[in-house]
Amino acid sequence: MEPLSSLAAEYKSGSPILLEKIKVLDEQYAAIRRTRGDGNCFFRSFMFSYLEHIMECQDQAEVDRIQPNVEKSRKALQTLGYADLTFEDFFALFLEQLECVIQGKETSISHEELVIRSRDQSISDYVVMFFRFVTSAEIQMRTEFFEPFILGLTNTTVEQFCKLSVEPMGEESDHVHITALSDALGVPIRVVYLDRSSCDTGGVSVNHHDFMPVAGDLPSASCSSVKNFPFITLLYRPGHYDILYPK
Amino acid sequence: MQASKARLFKEYHEVQREKIADPDIQLVCDESNIFKWTAFVKGPSETPYEGGVFQLSFSVSDQYPLQPPQVRFLTKIFHPNVHFKVGWIFIGKSMLGKVKRVAITIGGVVGIMGIDVATVVISDGRSGGSYQWEWGMLVLEQHGQRAQLNGEHEMRNCNLEVETGEICLDILKNAWSPAWTLQSVCRAIIALMAHPEPDSPLNCDSGNLLRSGDVRGYQSMARMYTRLAAMPKKG
Repeated sequence: MEPLSSLAAEYKSGSPILLEKIKVLDEQYAAIRRTRGDGNCFFRSFMFSYLEHIMECQDQAEVDRIQPNVEKSRKALQTLGYADLTFEDFFALFLEQLECVIQGKETSISHEELVIRSRDQSISDYVVMFFRFVTSAEIQMRTEFFEPFILGLTNTTVEQFCKLSVEPMGEESDHVHITALSDALGVPIRVVYLDRSSCDTGGVSVNHHDFMPVAGDLPSASCSSVKNFPFITLLYRPGHYDILYPK
Repeated sequence: MQASKARLFKEYHEVQREKIADPDIQLVCDESNIFKWTAFVKGPSETPYEGGVFQLSFSVSDQYPLQPPQVRFLTKIFHPNVHFKVGWIFIGKSMLGKVKRVAITIGGVVGIMGIDVATVVISDGRSGGSYQWEWGMLVLEQHGQRAQLNGEHEMRNCNLEVETGEICLDILKNAWSPAWTLQSVCRAIIALMAHPEPDSPLNCDSGNLLRSGDVRGYQSMARMYTRLAAMPKKG
């Protein structure tokens, strides 16, 4: 975790618009956590941010809430014709991590251990792959909804898109992936955009977009119980996602 | 390591169950090594490979299923997306001078040809390196170091076994995902046999025939090699 000033330092001799924007970010956000830039950064950022939230709030209610969604994804994959053996290990590993971040059990882990696991490819990559399966299932179960977005990106069928741009590791995520994952798991995600675009009015503002799941029970936003507000905030710079920590 | 083994055991059990469901594929695991598999696939009907049985070798890493298996044709096949297996390379005794051409033995027939890219291993086991034929030069790779054999090296009694049969298929490279299994990879390879992609050829001769529209030429070559290499010998 680094203070936001490290972000400013990165652009010291760069675009003035970006520096202005970082100043605006600095008012709202305390810190940034950088994610490996290997094409899996959205999923990896989401993984860490989500598990860290549950750990810090000891949010057992969220653990209970998400499990039916996970089971729904499992059923969706079965319906779509995926053999259980192809995805069950990834599901099991995610559910295991979910259990581990709740304290007071034999399997409980510390925050430090969570950081270590997120860097350990044998765990981290499996959780990333779990999210990729969930995302793919959600897109294929709601083909009609996603089709126009996918046609805007590539000229392939929805199934081909999932096979080529969702399921393979290292394939970068777009708003299609984020929408699908957020909907499937019922977890709102805020994405803050840091790019060179400026608005017509002259003043500098930083755009963000909240991906709000379509239906169902939403998790609590902070450790208090304000609903409908994303507790996962990601910073998007063209081609890469990192984690942001609000003040 | 454990995760890849566990997954392969599951696939092993699934293969036992699917045997009857998929008579075109026979997938066998090495008795002593779960990371080595062999498959026998039937050439799809209404293709020049019909009637042939093609052997594939699978080499699976401990990063499986996050990483794809390495799959090669062990049976020679004439197909645009499969590197053409050439059997044995023999480089004559004390050969000096530029290595331009190598003698290749296919089923007892000696021919001379240059090959574009082929991984070859030395057959006498004296060195553990691999040889790569690149741009008309034999490139030796050993312990991560590369040397080019272009006439400055003396070669003695080199019998090289060619390991080709490399397959150009997106799911075995960047489009791989754990949603695939060894069994479904076999199915994808059968589909590739029925639908060649001549625009990304590993076998240029075969690719060129198709690209120039000579379907008949491609089919007769492919059929001939199916008869020579993939069918049981008569009598």
